[in-house]
Amino acid sequence: MSEQGTSDAGHPAGRGCYVYAVTRGLDDGGRAPVTASGLRGEPVRLVPHAGLQALVSDVDLAEFGEEGMRRNLEDLAWLEEVARTHDAVVASVAERAPTAPLRLGTITYDEAGVRERLAQWHDALVGALDRVEGRAEWSVKAFAPQPGATARTDQPAPSTGGAGAGAAYLTRRRAQIQARHDADRVAAELADRLHASLSGHSVASRRLQPQDPRLSGHPRPMTLNAAYLVDRAAGEDFAALARRLAEEHPEAGLVVAGPWPPYSFAELEES
Amino acid sequence: MPVSETARSHPSYARPPAPGTSHAPQPANLADILERVLDKGIIIAGDIKVNLLDIELLTIKIRLLVASVDKAQEMGIDWWRNDPMLSSRDQSLAEENKQLRERVAALERGQGSPDTNGNARGNGGDRADSEDGGEEAAQHDAREAREPGGE
Repeated sequence: MSEQGTSDAGHPAGRGCYVYAVTRGLDDGGRAPVTASGLRGEPVRLVPHAGLQALVSDVDLAEFGEEGMRRNLEDLAWLEEVARTHDAVVASVAERAPTAPLRLGTITYDEAGVRERLAQWHDALVGALDRVEGRAEWSVKAFAPQPGATARTDQPAPSTGGAGAGAAYLTRRRAQIQARHDADRVAAELADRLHASLSGHSVASRRLQPQDPRLSGHPRPMTLNAAYLVDRAAGEDFAALARRLAEEHPEAGLVVAGPWPPYSFAELEES
Repeated sequence: MPVSETARSHPSYARPPAPGTSHAPQPANLADILERVLDKGIIIAGDIKVNLLDIELLTIKIRLLVASVDKAQEMGIDWWRNDPMLSSRDQSLAEENKQLRERVAALERGQGSPDTNGNARGNGGDRADSEDGGEEAAQHDAREAREPGGE
């Protein structure tokens, strides 16, 4: 193994190791096994232990220590930059080797701490890597029709034989609410069917919480927010299936993204 | 941190995805990334321990930024609330801590609707029964909560 894997000398006081992911089999004979830049432009390097490799870069504990993190995580711009860098490093490796992404903000004081974790969680990490090896995550979202698009808001009030304007209003309101519920139900059922089709072409699948329109940037309510674990060799087929479903159901406004690193599927199984 | 980054938080947050199908090389939606790096991925406790539920941005501000609390609850937007990094032992304390923060935030905005708390609690189920005591204890415990499974 390389020199840097066994030396803590490169960690002056006030510096820590930010851990992005665990992988294995990356060629550490090469000078730059990881080409993506780490946080704050620091180079990403491998910390190997017992057949596993942690991807780490040095961080300043003034920024990434407990106090600094608590403060900085309150800043959405800071969070966005760290999240995007974290993802970019993980993604650059996930293309080339089985990769188990770690949660944002996993930081040790030094490389010895990284190796300790690799030893402690060794078997579970190997299991997680086995499950995602040769596979990638795809994300598919579907949306409900535009609110109001199907609600019959201008439906004439039915004649209710002598009932007053109040009753007519209530009847109309009830019809509107019913129409809205019907539209929601239809959209939810379509989401279930789409998910069933896509799941059938994946190794594993998970439905995530729908994102709020203001979070997703999409004006319509999200009815499906799902992640699919797909063999890399089958990635194009999966994307083609998603495109076909998108054409067959334009009302669902499918958004497909991938391949992602297997964030939603790399898990430590308790045993 | 770069000052220029701060100014663009809102617009970048609301960036709409490309219409139709899209593929990874274009910059991913921030919501998708946050959803994954904060809520998915392997939890291994490092030496630096910061409970994400202690972070107001994540427990309150993002939610208020993206939706009113009620609206978020209604739409099931609560992935930062039911954070799997919390063991079930800590869940109720962290939940309570968060609800107290929500109440404070609501009061500070001058719209302290008790309904907000009622709704927020709706899915909580197993939260502790005390509402007005032990916030300090809750915070202290919540800070420990990032340890997976309390090993």
